[in-house]
Amino acid sequence: MVLKIQNVSKNFGGINALKDVTFSINEGEIYGLIGPNGAGKTTMFNLITNIFEPTSGEIIFNGENITALKSYKITEKGICRTYQNIRLFPQMSALKNVMVGGHCRSNAGVFSSVFRTKSQRKEEQELTKKAEELLELVGLLEFKDTFAENLAYGQQRRLEIARALASNPSLLLLDEPAAGMNEKETDSLYDLIKMVQSMGITVLIIEHDMPLVMKLCDRITVLNFGEKLAEGTPEEIQSNEAVIEAYLGKEEEEEIA
Amino acid sequence: MLADIINPYFLQILSFILINILLAISVYVPLSSGQLSLGSAGFMGVGAYTSALLTIHFDIPLIIGILAGACVAGILGIIVGIPSLRLSGVYLAIATLGLGEVIRVIFVNWESLTKGSIGLTGIPQMGREILNFAKGFGFDPAMIGLKSNQFVYLVIVLILLLLVIATIWFVVRQQNSRVGRSLSSIQMDEKAAESMGINITYYKVLSFTQGAFLAGLAGALFAHVMGYISPSDFSYHRAVEILIFTVFGGSEVILGAVFGATFLTLVPEVLRFISDYRYIIYGIVLIILMAVRPQGIFDIHLLNRLKGLKRSKGGVR
Repeated sequence: MVLKIQNVSKNFGGINALKDVTFSINEGEIYGLIGPNGAGKTTMFNLITNIFEPTSGEIIFNGENITALKSYKITEKGICRTYQNIRLFPQMSALKNVMVGGHCRSNAGVFSSVFRTKSQRKEEQELTKKAEELLELVGLLEFKDTFAENLAYGQQRRLEIARALASNPSLLLLDEPAAGMNEKETDSLYDLIKMVQSMGITVLIIEHDMPLVMKLCDRITVLNFGEKLAEGTPEEIQSNEAVIEAYLGKEEEEEIA
Repeated sequence: MLADIINPYFLQILSFILINILLAISVYVPLSSGQLSLGSAGFMGVGAYTSALLTIHFDIPLIIGILAGACVAGILGIIVGIPSLRLSGVYLAIATLGLGEVIRVIFVNWESLTKGSIGLTGIPQMGREILNFAKGFGFDPAMIGLKSNQFVYLVIVLILLLLVIATIWFVVRQQNSRVGRSLSSIQMDEKAAESMGINITYYKVLSFTQGAFLAGLAGALFAHVMGYISPSDFSYHRAVEILIFTVFGGSEVILGAVFGATFLTLVPEVLRFISDYRYIIYGIVLIILMAVRPQGIFDIHLLNRLKGLKRSKGGVR
């Protein structure tokens, strides 16, 4: 078990963004987190990466409690994420963006950086090489010197994935990677995520594109109003009464509102 | 003949330019991690007073006094830098400006040590110390065809030039490395930088401290170039002036700081012949620039174009 979310709740000034959510992700899985807008999916990501701490509950990563660990330490442990609204470093080249991702797997300090020690030069070379490999993987090698802000939308999304991969994660969190993509881009995203899985990286993905989710994920958790509605394989989820209700809305809609 | 060209007045202006470049870089460095610090005048004062007092009272070598001045300013930078992490943008600017004023007021009021608003005089002058030292070995400036005061100012300029080059070298090398990438990623998106595994606290305090150290260094050099200092040398006006150097030249690139400090130190001197109007012109130049080119003279795009680097498709920002 890579990640275990145990009875996690998050309360924002009296509003329950997440309420007693529990699920766990096995190694090598592609795990989907779906639900209507405002269901608490991104909040879950923010709790896992400790952008903020849960009100209660625990997050266990590879058997270790990471609930209160600082954000950057969590990345060091091997969890890296992308953002729903892309957060690249805009005035940095694509290559450098990815190299920043390799930060926690390198350790040159001020002294060795300024004096270009032997180990620093070797490390820079390795970082560059790895960044180029990752750019090639996401199909952006030809844009390596382009500022991130000048890339097309779909390219930016893929660059963000490359940057996250540069930190050598064992768990990759993708927040709506297909948002705003056309069908062709979505198809190549599918291939990319499958490739990431074949590299031995576990993937937790938030996505609204249902055909993609159903095709991609091994298991899925459905959140609704901060609570876990259902968990299971894509087939189970698709035939789950409660899920259909939450998405399509039945007579209960008025009750919930 | 060398002696005819070397005019002490020009050399002195040149030495002010070089000190101002150091000060401009001391704003530029924290800014490269997104921290707008207006504390440079204060840190400069700390460096100046530390080195001046040490060399006056304890007769220690200048180089140690200057280093001590820079280090004390740097340590103060760490002490101030950690709590100011909670602040950003304008709030940090105001807090650091306040810090500078506090430091100045301490200089004014701690009369037993700092002689109050009269300031310190009789600070060993760098050039003269070196001249005396060289004379001990039987050297005379006349041997290379210079008058004593020409030699004194020439030595100062050479030392300052060396320090400025070393500083620029340091900052540029640091920028093109893992450390520099971390600083600029923090500047561009702090949250994203942290989730890429960057310890923001460390890097922000690092660049803030480097800025304080540099300002302290510039202050100590200033004290030993001028020979006298008073609290008014490190006032709020100085803080704003230093900021203007960096903003005018372009705060995104180190060339901007260097250019801004050089140009804006020269303008009042060049315009000396119309003495009454020169600061009006200075002001007009600033207003025009901020209206036409708010990012300063130099920015990354301009530099890339100058380098002939292939520019990416997208439009001009």
